[in-house]
Amino acid sequence: MLSIKNLKASIAGKTILKGLDLTVNPGEVHAIMGPNGSGKSTLGYVLSGREAYIVEEGSILFEGVDLLTMDIEERALAGLFLAFQYPLEIPGVSNLEFLKAAVDAQREARGEPLMSSKEFLSAAREACKAVRLPTEFLKRGVNEGFSGGEKKRNDILQMLMLQPKLCILDETDSGLDIDALKLVADCVNSQRDAKRSFIVVTHYQRLLDYLKPDYVHVLSEGKIIKSGGPSLAPELEEQGYAWLARQPGEEKSL
Amino acid sequence: MNSWFGNALTRAEAIDDWLHEKRAASLALLRDTDWPTRQTEAWKYTSLKKLEQLDFSDGSPAPVIDVSPISGLNSINLVFIDGVLQSIPADLPEGLTIMPLAQVPDEHQPWVLDQFAGVKPQQHLFGLINDTLATNGLVIDVAPQVDLKHPIHITQTMTAGNEAHCRTLVRVGAGARVTVIEHLAGNQESFNTSFTEYSLATKAELEHYRLALQSDAALTIGGSHFNLDTQATLNSTIVGYGSDLARIDVDISHQGEGTLAKLDAIYLLDKQTHFDLHSNIEHTAPNGTSDERVRGIVADKARAVFNGRIHIHRYAQKTSAELNNRNLLLSRDAEVDVKPELEIYADDVSCAHGATIAEIDQLALYYLRSRGIGLEQAHLMLNFGFINELIDQIPNAVLADWLRQQLSGRFTRMNEIKHSGQEATQ
Amino acid sequence: MTDQIEKAITREYEAGFTSSIESNTFEPGLNEEVIARLSAIKGEPQWMLDWRLKAFASWKKMPEPHWAHIDYSKIDFQAISYYSSPKSMDDKPKSLDEIDPELLATYEKLGIPLMEQQMLAGVAVDAVFDSVSVVTTFREKLKEAGVIFCSISEAIKEYPELVQKYLGSVVPRTDNYYAALNSAVFTDGSFVYVPKGVRCPMELSTYFRINEQNTGQFERTLVIADEGSHVSYLEGCSAPQRDENQLHAAVVELVALDDAQIKYSTVQNWYPGDEQGRGGIYNFVTKRAMCHKNAKVSWTQVETGSAITWKYPSCILRGDNSVGEFYSVALTRGRQQADTGTKMIHLGKNTRSTIISKGISAAQSNNSYRGLVKMMPTAEGARNYTQCDSLLIGDQCGAHTFPYIESRNPSAIVEHEATTSKVSDDQLFLCQQRGINSEKAVSMIVNGFCKEVFKQLPMEFAVEAGKLLEISLEGSVG
Repeated sequence: MLSIKNLKASIAGKTILKGLDLTVNPGEVHAIMGPNGSGKSTLGYVLSGREAYIVEEGSILFEGVDLLTMDIEERALAGLFLAFQYPLEIPGVSNLEFLKAAVDAQREARGEPLMSSKEFLSAAREACKAVRLPTEFLKRGVNEGFSGGEKKRNDILQMLMLQPKLCILDETDSGLDIDALKLVADCVNSQRDAKRSFIVVTHYQRLLDYLKPDYVHVLSEGKIIKSGGPSLAPELEEQGYAWLARQPGEEKSL
Repeated sequence: MNSWFGNALTRAEAIDDWLHEKRAASLALLRDTDWPTRQTEAWKYTSLKKLEQLDFSDGSPAPVIDVSPISGLNSINLVFIDGVLQSIPADLPEGLTIMPLAQVPDEHQPWVLDQFAGVKPQQHLFGLINDTLATNGLVIDVAPQVDLKHPIHITQTMTAGNEAHCRTLVRVGAGARVTVIEHLAGNQESFNTSFTEYSLATKAELEHYRLALQSDAALTIGGSHFNLDTQATLNSTIVGYGSDLARIDVDISHQGEGTLAKLDAIYLLDKQTHFDLHSNIEHTAPNGTSDERVRGIVADKARAVFNGRIHIHRYAQKTSAELNNRNLLLSRDAEVDVKPELEIYADDVSCAHGATIAEIDQLALYYLRSRGIGLEQAHLMLNFGFINELIDQIPNAVLADWLRQQLSGRFTRMNEIKHSGQEATQ
Repeated sequence: MTDQIEKAITREYEAGFTSSIESNTFEPGLNEEVIARLSAIKGEPQWMLDWRLKAFASWKKMPEPHWAHIDYSKIDFQAISYYSSPKSMDDKPKSLDEIDPELLATYEKLGIPLMEQQMLAGVAVDAVFDSVSVVTTFREKLKEAGVIFCSISEAIKEYPELVQKYLGSVVPRTDNYYAALNSAVFTDGSFVYVPKGVRCPMELSTYFRINEQNTGQFERTLVIADEGSHVSYLEGCSAPQRDENQLHAAVVELVALDDAQIKYSTVQNWYPGDEQGRGGIYNFVTKRAMCHKNAKVSWTQVETGSAITWKYPSCILRGDNSVGEFYSVALTRGRQQADTGTKMIHLGKNTRSTIISKGISAAQSNNSYRGLVKMMPTAEGARNYTQCDSLLIGDQCGAHTFPYIESRNPSAIVEHEATTSKVSDDQLFLCQQRGINSEKAVSMIVNGFCKEVFKQLPMEFAVEAGKLLEISLEGSVG
């Protein structure tokens, strides 16, 4: 589904990703962990096409198509979804209007008939219920005055509505209490199937306990320095990143 | 002196009615007033040329006018066509008195004489002109403690080749609550002045709207002016479309202690329209609060002018006053001229103003696009969202919906026209 | 607490002494003949006299401007003497040793020693006393670097091509009422030329002093920074304490050619008049910079003096990527009135401007910020950020903000913010509770309020400015 080769990317002249390789197959869940500043969020922004981030080298293929030639919205319509670390507030644009525009665009791109207002509304209400946001939130401006946790849940709500193929969750667990964390994990788990893939960026093992990733990668200074199975996460939790950051493969005992 | 002004003075001299003394005083002031030029601070960015050249000799036939009330509003409707009041509804709710300005019964005359030209500041040239020429208009009296459930909806429509001058006086008694909608319409070549003076007694609450929805060749100059007595509350919303000449002055005078005024204004300008909003908030008593937000979208060759003044007098300690003006400039040929002013003579106050002129937030644009919404649609959504944020806060839900519909329709049309224009040039 | 603050802001004007120096002073009055005489005394070429007379002709037709938020009795321009020079200057001294010792003593007293050996290392001074430049120090050293630093009178004679090319190129003769008056009657001032690629090796400084009664001071400063050059210029001023008002109408023109940088700092301490508002300098000044491609001009001012201040140091950002900055502290007390601010005119692409204005009003004074930010249709991608903060001390003063913002380019971004605050009793209480007396506390709070501006000043000036504010707030006892 996703194949990243030797990705180098920078922002404002500063290189953040320094040769990242990652392959994600349909149905897989990949967790990416790593210290602050290692480039975890950058990866999500580069994949989604945020303009300030410049790709200097490397390639990204999404379902065999070159992602780098596509606009932000084209990538979204191709099935790529980024749940933000800090979802933005857009006062004046109602959640409902925003969701409808996004869903319409998605359906149009897939050649599906547009939802009637009634269908759409009931789907939106359903999604609200799933993420436990009161339906009144649909009428409010996008994330306007939402708490940190409500914003995160609103992002997951969008994911439920848009039915993407590849979901990148950028520290969606940060700022969530245990109940909310479990709710988000349940939503994600409910969306897992043989075709849909996830890249989960996180600092903590707790979310991974619920999500049970197929692979765990450690990102440090713009490169994946270690990959492993689900057991890598608790190991990291215990030992921190320092033992990995020294030299890839050096594996010093501390 | 230009011919329009000279002519107006001559017409004013001929008026002789029960307001004669008031009119004469204003006429005397007018004679001492110079016609504004670009050097006149209050008219620095607004030219009166179109008015000076006004010529109704070859007026086109009047179109059919839609003065149907806003459905669901359950309002008390008063309609003026070319300055002429159509009728006053019978069986008004208890505590509400509505009279034509020309026929004010004796028992109401003293307070009307007091309020006429007593709320509106004298320096407004067209206010003075309106003092001398407005024979049409309304006098509305809301008795103390009355809570009016039905909004009073005053519509003023102008048709081609006409000129009209309307004056409305509204007295809101102590503890009374009322909603007044001043709604101006018409797009034909015409000119009107419309000034309204409100006096809010102790603890009175007024929800006010001035919908300046005139457009194109309808020239309009007017104002809404408010005196707030102790603990009175004003919540006002101004909406402007702009026309060949559109100027509104809003004056809010916090005369009693502990008053509260909220003023939101929206303008949405396209083509070659001009919209000039001057707001002036005077805090003369302590513990007053004012909160003003002004948002505008200016496209094509339109020009928006906003002058927002906050004046804190020496004794108005503990005043809190805030003004925020934001503009979206959408075209290289459009122009925005703003001047937020603070004049402060009391030290224990909290005052701030801010103004920005910019394009929409790039981050918001990215957020929408990352959800698959196309660039163009994202632009439209965010641009409209910019003003919709204020519409969302309009207290009357029916009116908010109606306005949202009007404004979004206008906004969509603006963009369609822009589009077809672009295609034509390609 | 307010009383303490009130007391804190009443103080003696320290530069208010008079020097008894014999002088040649014109009879009051202004006409073509006076201008011709003035020009003759200075030995000016014909083109200069013609220029002055043209300016005078325009001035006579111009109305006096009244839009500023200031109130003063009408100025009688015929009651002012338009030329005064110390007698000892008649035979221009050849070196510092020949200067009237009383004159040197005057500058000593002001804290501006002119003797080169005593001077702060690295600052060259041009001292202007009433109508004439008395001395310019460090000229030789500057010449080595190719920098010209002399009085404008000398420049007219010695560098006529430069003066003719740039004089009036930024502030035209007819720009405004006071600029036109200055163009007709300016008596002296400083001239600076920094050649291509040269970094001026020291700070340049001019010190203006009005001494004679009934004289006006009309100085003219012209700074030209050629391509890629850098210069930092400081300006200070004071005047004796007199009951009458004295007029000061200066013009400063800065030309920053491609890639050049000019930093212009002013500490203005003209006599502000007494507490009742008697006397003081009327300060009507036009200062403007022309910024060419990639050039940067930074105005920093600390205004504590003058009965009336009418001053708007501005930048015309003509060249692409040029930068304009304005950092200002204006303190008014007594019955001072200040109407000051800036204009940033954005013409070039990606031009940037920053405006930081701090107004402090005390006693019965009025302090206004007035500014214009203009984005022309050509100003693609231009940006402005403006912040105006006012601090009120006492309930008898006024603080005002009049920003004009005009934008005609959709890609330009303009942001303006203004706030008003007071020295709160809570802040004072906190300081006092921690053992800081109220006088020191007010001074600390005010200094903190002005920090963003002070840090823009060159070191020596920053110290002077801080002291000036502290002195202004002296006298409060806890």
